[in-house]
Amino acid sequence: MRSLRFGLPIVVLLVLSACAGNNGTGGQSGGSSFDPSSISGTVVFTGWQASKDEGVALQAALDGFKAKYPKIKVDYQPIATDYATAMAAKFSAHQPPDLFYVDSFVSHDWIEQGLLAPLDDLASSRGFDTGQFYPGFLNAFKGSDGKIYGFPKDGNALGMAYNSDTLSAAGIQPPTTWDELVAAGQKLTTGGKHAFCLSSTLDRELAFIYQNGGSLFNDDLTKSAVDSDATKQAITWYLDLFKNGYGVRPKDLGDDWCGTSLGKGKVAMIFEGGWLDPFMKSTYPNVKYAWAPLPKGKQEANLGFTVSYSIGKDSKNKDAAWVLLTYLTGPDGMKIWTQGGVANPSRKDVSAPAGKEVLVKGAEIAHPWSFIPGFSKINDAFNNAMTAAIEAKSDDPTKIVNDTKTAIDQALNS
Amino acid sequence: MAAPAASVPASRRTLGRDRRQEALAGYGLVAVPMLLFLVFQIGSIFFAIYISLWKWGPLGPTGLNPFRGIRNYQTILSDPIFWKAITNILYYAVIWVPLTMAIGLFLAVIVNQKIRGQTFFRASFYFPAIASSAAITTLFIFIMGPEGLFNGVRQALGVNPIFSLFGFPSNYNWLGESRTAMNSIIILNAWTTSGTFMLFYLASLQSISHEVYEAAAIDGANAWQTFWRVTFPLLRPGHYFVATVAVIGALQLFDQAIFVGGSGGEPNNALTTPVLFLYRAAISDFNFGYAAAVGVILLVLIMAATLIQRRLFGQAPSW
Repeated sequence: MRSLRFGLPIVVLLVLSACAGNNGTGGQSGGSSFDPSSISGTVVFTGWQASKDEGVALQAALDGFKAKYPKIKVDYQPIATDYATAMAAKFSAHQPPDLFYVDSFVSHDWIEQGLLAPLDDLASSRGFDTGQFYPGFLNAFKGSDGKIYGFPKDGNALGMAYNSDTLSAAGIQPPTTWDELVAAGQKLTTGGKHAFCLSSTLDRELAFIYQNGGSLFNDDLTKSAVDSDATKQAITWYLDLFKNGYGVRPKDLGDDWCGTSLGKGKVAMIFEGGWLDPFMKSTYPNVKYAWAPLPKGKQEANLGFTVSYSIGKDSKNKDAAWVLLTYLTGPDGMKIWTQGGVANPSRKDVSAPAGKEVLVKGAEIAHPWSFIPGFSKINDAFNNAMTAAIEAKSDDPTKIVNDTKTAIDQALNS
Repeated sequence: MAAPAASVPASRRTLGRDRRQEALAGYGLVAVPMLLFLVFQIGSIFFAIYISLWKWGPLGPTGLNPFRGIRNYQTILSDPIFWKAITNILYYAVIWVPLTMAIGLFLAVIVNQKIRGQTFFRASFYFPAIASSAAITTLFIFIMGPEGLFNGVRQALGVNPIFSLFGFPSNYNWLGESRTAMNSIIILNAWTTSGTFMLFYLASLQSISHEVYEAAAIDGANAWQTFWRVTFPLLRPGHYFVATVAVIGALQLFDQAIFVGGSGGEPNNALTTPVLFLYRAAISDFNFGYAAAVGVILLVLIMAATLIQRRLFGQAPSW
């Protein structure tokens, strides 16, 4: 029954995207002389791999590519650990792979260093429509010059994962607003058990700051905007969840991250992204949980995490890399890559895999988790001040905001 | 010029030629590693000093105005996190170096006795030093976690009231709270490194001649006096060597810090060290020039510390 219900829209979408693909090819042959099927050569392609399932899904997408473009050979060379270090060596030697992953968190550092090739001109002259990407994902790879340096290979927004049994036993519905969330926290925090596992880091809390109308930067990322009442209120609200004992950090439970705490049944709700699903499937297959949208603050907002496929400035085989890039981030390749459930689509014209609808919907309101060069220091400043506040059982946002502002000013001026 | 050379006896001339050839062969053999040393060690130090004056990335100078002069250094010195890293590492060095030296010396003196199973004790004290720091730190993270072995043991021993006097609840997260994270690392490293220091001290202990002990015995010194009046002062070269190695190692603390606290030095920068700070700049931000400047500062710091120690311990032994 279940597979039939979700199967039908997928078939419809398959047909639709096939038509879209044809349109794209039509545009290309009319507009320019670039014909992807005439390109040949070898593309050296590098990324990391989080799980075996990911490898299987990627291989399926690469098989699809091989069938469509038999003249191009793909030489896949995944990097097992320390991706940034390995890539730094390749960039320094002026021998980067032709196509590779770039994490949105470091994209601006890599763009500013001139490591990546801009893609806008190619996209417009070769007729690749970037309008289908969710802006919250695509904009993560937009440099300060306004050019795009990578297309998102997939994307994740945050959602609320909850233990269905615990919630129904307590007779409560998944909270939809901040007030309902606090009420649920109060009800579910009993007898040494905590309602939520909360990450104390900026990569979760910023979603709630956005929901309250706060922000880190002004719109064009040229000035700090963290010192606002909206931001402070949101931080206080978040700190209160810790202070009241409704929420605890995973390490306070002895866990490495909130997924483990949910799996072990220590908490009822966590705020994570689609990466939770493969983890739960492999580690805690018997725990019943479901996704709900992030409870809404003053406004709906979410945080988008993504990784791009990018071409290096010094990449040797750029044309073949372009063909692979546009296949994998185009509707056909992305459908194959995401249907196994290891990733969620970054394009609006690829439908959500079954069970991921909530998370994909979050992408529509997502702000990119990607800011300015040197952002890691800002992130560290925020996280360290948060840790200090939680340890002191305080809900005073002053030091957190001040430290973050100092770090932002320093990053902007260096 | 030629005349005196001609007057040198034939035998001495052959010796001179032999010596020259020997010297040439010696220099020839030394030249290869020396060249590698000059290029890869000394050369890279100078290159690091050079790029520390630039905004420098994987592809070389970056941006419109890449030359930064001393501005990288100014930014570092005005960064509170860098000073936190320096404070952390000084605290670590001040506690960890004497503690580990004391344990190492204690173990060395014990295993230097003629006791049964001497080899077994030497091996087992040294054993933690050969385990990989990644593996041993990972184990330590589990041991010191809220539901870890350490908390379990103190629960079982019933000593929790004493701990709660100091404000440590029964499920305290030793590595996750900023006030105990660094102290826990100190204990971990004192345990793993004392075996190495034991070996160093053992070598020094065995180089002390028996005669001085016999003289002390004849003078009626007891074991305690012998240790403090004879052994300890005569170990001075050993102290110098161990202290120098220890301080250099302490100032370069990195592995345990990054395994426990990640590259962010969590919790609350309690585990941020200068090398971790450098790593962050280089690998997270690809800001090689800035990272090189941190490296240069660290080089100056370590050299200064070593010179000070040389002044304190470094005179030639007086016996």
